[in-house]
Amino acid sequence: MSSANNSKGVPYILKLVIGLVLMFGGMYLSVQKPEFMSFQESLEKSGIPLDLGKTVAIIGVFLILTPLLDLFFFKPLQESITNRTTELEGTFTEAENLRSEMTRMKTEYEDRLARTEAEAREQIQSQIKEAQDLKKQLMADAQAKADQLRKEAEVEIANQKKQALTELRVHVATLSLQATEKILQANVDTDRNRKLIDDFLTTVEAKN
Amino acid sequence: MNGTPFALGLAALGVAIGLGLIGSAAMSGMARQPEAIGKIQTPMLIALAFVELVFLLTLFLGLNMVK
Amino acid sequence: MGDLLHLGTTLLAEGGAEHGAAHHGANFVGLMVYLVAIIGVVVYLLADAKKGLNNRYFTRWTTQRLEQLYLFVENMAVGIIGAHGRKYIPMVMTLWLLIFFGNLTALFFATSPTADLSFNLGLALIAVFYVQWEGMRANGVGGHFKHFAGPKLSGALMILTPMIFIIELVSEMMKNLSLSLRLYGNIDGGHKAAEAMNELGKSAYVPFGAFLMPLKLMTCVVQALIFTLLFCVYLSLVTHADHGDAHGEAHAH
Repeated sequence: MSSANNSKGVPYILKLVIGLVLMFGGMYLSVQKPEFMSFQESLEKSGIPLDLGKTVAIIGVFLILTPLLDLFFFKPLQESITNRTTELEGTFTEAENLRSEMTRMKTEYEDRLARTEAEAREQIQSQIKEAQDLKKQLMADAQAKADQLRKEAEVEIANQKKQALTELRVHVATLSLQATEKILQANVDTDRNRKLIDDFLTTVEAKN
Repeated sequence: MNGTPFALGLAALGVAIGLGLIGSAAMSGMARQPEAIGKIQTPMLIALAFVELVFLLTLFLGLNMVK
Repeated sequence: MGDLLHLGTTLLAEGGAEHGAAHHGANFVGLMVYLVAIIGVVVYLLADAKKGLNNRYFTRWTTQRLEQLYLFVENMAVGIIGAHGRKYIPMVMTLWLLIFFGNLTALFFATSPTADLSFNLGLALIAVFYVQWEGMRANGVGGHFKHFAGPKLSGALMILTPMIFIIELVSEMMKNLSLSLRLYGNIDGGHKAAEAMNELGKSAYVPFGAFLMPLKLMTCVVQALIFTLLFCVYLSLVTHADHGDAHGEAHAH
């Protein structure tokens, strides 16, 4: 293609000169009507209205006009159409690139979102589990403490009861002795009576 | 008065039939394959031009004979 | 300018008087006046369209129309000639514009360049000789003339080759004739038909010929199209060996 363009060869100035020569030659042929053009008369008579001078001149005009119009309009038009096409193509590829970039970013974002969500869920789960563990442990602790307290309380109660009982026995024994003393006066040996009362009390205790 | 108008009419008749044939063939082709309209149109126009030329030649000669 | 137009019209009238009622077209100066007017209109339109050129979409009316025409011609050239048909576009466009505006002139004026056989013969000569020139450039001078001699024949059939050569040469000459006569016949025939119809309605003052206007307008476009189309076809016939032999072989048979 480029070689064909280069081999076009004929420079415009040559075309211009040839065109002008043809134009003026045609004018001469048409207006002056030299001898050798007289065959046109007979053509005219037989009904072919031909004026070769005009023909020659038209060829000259055309030779001048074509490159002129080409340079003046067709080349710029072609250029701007080509530019427009390439620009459009560029815009399209750019848009395509942007779109693919956006798709990539979107998938990335979605990935990250999913990952974050999973992470959060996991964390919540672990927190819940921890809390449950803690709760269980706390409850166990509390239970143990309560048990211990109760046990201690029971032991103390038992101690208190025992103490109260012993105190009560001593008190009762003393009271009984005093009462018996009053009743029996001196007849009775204190030691023997005490022994009796003690026996009695143990039976009572056993009964209780 | 010579027979030139009649002869021209005869030529017009023949050429009209030819043009009609080309047109009808092209029309049926286009109707059958509407997507090929672009491909059919160019040869159709060329054929029309050639047939028309026959009449133009006749007209040319005939009108010259009228003189 | 008025003087020049006056000159043109007087010369035109003179020409009309000289040849009687024959449709002979204008004489040389008249033709040139018409041609300059047409080229002026074309260049004015192109200059107007050139203002609207940019690298985005065109908004100027003339630019849009000319772009459409350009794309149409490009489509035609590339479709018929092939990918290398792009370099003939300026030629085809110039032919198209000259013929189309010449034909448009024929709608409104008594005569027009394209209603003149000499003008059409000039255009046809340009077309045909350009085709020969391109054929020689594409195939070489020898190759181009070999193209005229038809297929290679052997033995006794060799006698046919010179005959084919002569027939082909004559057909090349006839291309000139057919191109120019077609354009001339259509445009001048349109004039003649309009005049005849005007004659018909003369007594009632009805210009019947004016009703032919749409038909003539269509003829304008179609003739410009056909001239350039045939130019492209002739070009494709001689240059299609340019790109690959297989394609050429396929076309040759």
